[in-house]
Amino acid sequence: MAQLQAHFYTDNKKYAVDDVPFSIPATSEIAEVSSIINKLLEAKNEFHKHVEFDFLIKGQFPQMLLVKHMELENISWEEVVELEYVEKYTAPQPEWCMLHDDWISSIKGAEEWILSGSYDRTSQIWSLEGKSIMTTAGHTDVVKDMAWVKKDSLSCLLTTFLWEWNVERNKVKSLHCGRGHAGSVDSIAVDNSGTKFFSGSWDKMLKIWSTVPTDEEDEMEESIKQPRKKQKAKQLAHTEAISSVLWSDPEEICSVSWDHTIRVWDAESGGLKSTLTGNEVFNCISYSPLCKHLASGSTDRHIRLWFFGVVSFTSHTSWVTSVKWSPTHEQQLISGSLDNIVKLWDIKSCKAPLYNLAAHEDKVLSADWTDTGLLLKAVDQGCRRLSDNTGHCPCSWLPTRTRW
Amino acid sequence: MVGTGADVVAILQDIRNTVGNVPLAWYDDFPHVGYDLDGKRIYKPLRTRDELDQFLDKMDDPDYWRTVQDKMTGHDLRLTDEQVALVQRLQKGQFGDESFNPYEPAIDFFSGNIMIHPVTNRPADKRSFIPSLVEKEKVSRMVHAIKMGWIQPRRPRDTSPSFYDLWAQEDPNAVLGRHKMHVPAPKLALPGHSESYNPPPEYLPTEEERLAWMQQEPGERKLNFLPRKFLSLRAVPAYGRFIQERFERCLDLYLCPRQRKMRVNVDPEDLIPKLPLPRDLQPFPVCQALVYRGHSDLVRCLSVSPGGQWLASGSDDGSLRFWEVSTARCMRTVPVGGVVRSIAWNPNPAICLVAASMDDAVLLLNPALGDRLLVGSTDQLLDAFMPPEEPTLQPARWLEASEEERQRGLRLRICHSKPVIQVTWHGRGDYLAVVLASPGHTQVLIHQLSRRRSQSPFRRSHGQVQRVAFHPTRPFLLVASQRSVRIYHLLRQELTKKLMPNCKWVSSLAVHPAGDNIICGSYDSKLVWFDLDLSTKPYKVLRHHKKALRAVAFHPRYPLFASGSDDGTVIVCHGMVYNDLLQNPLLVPVKVLKGHTLTRDLGVLDVAFHPTQPWIFSSGADSTIRLFS
Repeated sequence: MAQLQAHFYTDNKKYAVDDVPFSIPATSEIAEVSSIINKLLEAKNEFHKHVEFDFLIKGQFPQMLLVKHMELENISWEEVVELEYVEKYTAPQPEWCMLHDDWISSIKGAEEWILSGSYDRTSQIWSLEGKSIMTTAGHTDVVKDMAWVKKDSLSCLLTTFLWEWNVERNKVKSLHCGRGHAGSVDSIAVDNSGTKFFSGSWDKMLKIWSTVPTDEEDEMEESIKQPRKKQKAKQLAHTEAISSVLWSDPEEICSVSWDHTIRVWDAESGGLKSTLTGNEVFNCISYSPLCKHLASGSTDRHIRLWFFGVVSFTSHTSWVTSVKWSPTHEQQLISGSLDNIVKLWDIKSCKAPLYNLAAHEDKVLSADWTDTGLLLKAVDQGCRRLSDNTGHCPCSWLPTRTRW
Repeated sequence: MVGTGADVVAILQDIRNTVGNVPLAWYDDFPHVGYDLDGKRIYKPLRTRDELDQFLDKMDDPDYWRTVQDKMTGHDLRLTDEQVALVQRLQKGQFGDESFNPYEPAIDFFSGNIMIHPVTNRPADKRSFIPSLVEKEKVSRMVHAIKMGWIQPRRPRDTSPSFYDLWAQEDPNAVLGRHKMHVPAPKLALPGHSESYNPPPEYLPTEEERLAWMQQEPGERKLNFLPRKFLSLRAVPAYGRFIQERFERCLDLYLCPRQRKMRVNVDPEDLIPKLPLPRDLQPFPVCQALVYRGHSDLVRCLSVSPGGQWLASGSDDGSLRFWEVSTARCMRTVPVGGVVRSIAWNPNPAICLVAASMDDAVLLLNPALGDRLLVGSTDQLLDAFMPPEEPTLQPARWLEASEEERQRGLRLRICHSKPVIQVTWHGRGDYLAVVLASPGHTQVLIHQLSRRRSQSPFRRSHGQVQRVAFHPTRPFLLVASQRSVRIYHLLRQELTKKLMPNCKWVSSLAVHPAGDNIICGSYDSKLVWFDLDLSTKPYKVLRHHKKALRAVAFHPRYPLFASGSDDGTVIVCHGMVYNDLLQNPLLVPVKVLKGHTLTRDLGVLDVAFHPTQPWIFSSGADSTIRLFS
């Protein structure tokens, strides 16, 4: 049987093995190579527990036998093959689903709660176990996006409405109502300190608001590119509707729009810092503080990673509506698309996703992670689910919990 | 025979025939030829010799050649040597007398030299120095004849030859020039070994080759006979196909004119017009992105809000639906209780109003989507109307909606006497043109929203009106009837132009946002592009669809236009219009979008472009609306 010279290495010091090439049978499967590593580790450390590993050859996860993968990718047998191994992620499983009366437009996870906004003009707070804790009604229009302002002070924020939620008494109090947008507000983002948030709207404007309560009714602190009379030269933030906004830095905000651009703004002065231009309408954007990259999803079915060059992740078959970086893992992101599939990606392999989460029967409009405590290291992934799209059907909501 | 030669001559001299100079043929029937001096008959000698005797004489007698018959006496004469010599000299043209010299020297009577004394010294005649009176008279008569025109100058001779080369001017490429292009029939191949009666064994077919030869079609056989071996040439039987082969050869030689075909050697690629590749013309809609489900019957019409966030659709199930474009969410359903034939969103971004046609009424709805201020100001605008003091006679009635209807979004109802086929807004959003399904001149009505007035712009009709459209920049109204498109100037109230699409039944009409180009779709599956600057004839006719066209649309920003057809496809074309007047529009079909299923033989019923993105919506008979991006 043919033998293959392989050199194993890993970034994780915990699982490091000796820096020598090993000879492995060429027809071995991933699981067999994984058990070889485990045996090596057991020989080194008797307390080692069995861990499943996944392997990367030149930045790709082989999905079949090593030999076949190498044949497909034209990797030579003669040299020592560099095999990077990482802990294998087990496939996320759907755990439960939460039922909403109408389409869920957005979802946000927090430490212990999940916030969902719906087309029936309500938003709900759920516990991680899937119990409905609180329903807020009072919106005059469809809830398109929401965000937690401060997780410890327990207040949550909904599109241009500021609500305070008291956990002990389980009551919601409406604090403020932000007025000034001439179109539907599609996206909001809160800065890290929780004192400011800004909103991007269909009326092509970005507005920055303060969350600190004052006596005045309207909290508009500053509005970038005030329309019409004041600054004629640069009237609007974008030439088309703004679809998603986020804080990429405490002083920097980032917005994507239907005019095919991503624009980065200075939060203090409101000046335009840079513009990234694409070819298609951008639907969503996400920024990872861990790997400092922007990821955007657009209507041409690609997820794009913006660093020195642009890397496209292509696997979806319809518009990408949602992209979120993992808050705990610097190389993972999830994406939701109108083709009813949520995909979990590792940025090392841009051709195929790690897992397809196809538990939905209808369009995915939003997806998010919850950053739970350090002990569990669990990741919750929130998605929404519909059985029918006539608009008046029960829809369920399906978090997936994976532990490792 | 009598005597010898000398005696006979002497006797003949004596016995003279005295008949005189008369033709001897007179004596042919008599036994004599004349009379002698004594008056006795001279008898013809007896001629009893036959041909054989004559021949023997000729052979035996050496003097036969010099024997002649004396016609006067009928006796034979033997010519003497002197007589023979005389005959020979006369035959040669010489003088009979042998001694005569014809070339004796001549004696000159007059010398060539001029002498002192003339031979004759006669004075010259008078007539030699007096002009002739006869000639004078003759000349004066001719002069008179010339003056009178009786004598014409001689006509110049026609120099053109009476015989000429008939084929000198002939075009060798013409039909008559076929002789020059003649190609001789191919020569027959010489017989080879296989034709031999006793061919070498390698030319004889094996059994398999023979079977294979029998299996083949006569046309594809390499040899048209099977080589066979015979013991001798005598054993070769008659060749059965001989007559047929000779006949075919004769056909080759005489009957079939073989001529060189002048074939034009053209690469078929060169005939295809040079069009840019579709991928160089991006962006355009490529694939289906969203399906808007909810209607329960065919969706006849759709319209996109001017901002591009909302979509309105009308269906045969008697309802209007308002959709959110980005998520395919149905935001609102308005039951109207009748088939919605046409729907149009007010193009003014400051007004949130939708016009829809239901049976014989036009409904004006406020969908209450988007900005609350905008919705409120639209309602205020509609409520601010003050009815005039004396009501004028109008072709349509304007009714306010009831309170229950207001809850559903209905604001105004314009009632007509006939079913409404189409509604369309003017670009400013105040005027509304309506097409009624009635014969006569009241097919087209124009309503003014702010003053709630209706008027009928035409006094007489020109056929059944199919579609109307307002010109985007100038005060024109385009009216498409079955066979023609007329452009009217609304201020001057006159016909500006009449376009002839050359199709049987125009179904749809769209105006380029710049206003100089018009496309028409027709039920005979043609799409006609008019360039108003060029002519009233179509600039280009596109026949891409297999079935009737139902709708055509221009993109307001991108150089795109699209057509939806009964065959269930939407064809998107790149239609670039240049500012340069010398450059004609560039039309390139770029994409066929499929997705709608055929229901009741109907496919796509309406198409509309997104106002800002290169996306297209299509509504179909399968009760769905599809967005292609």
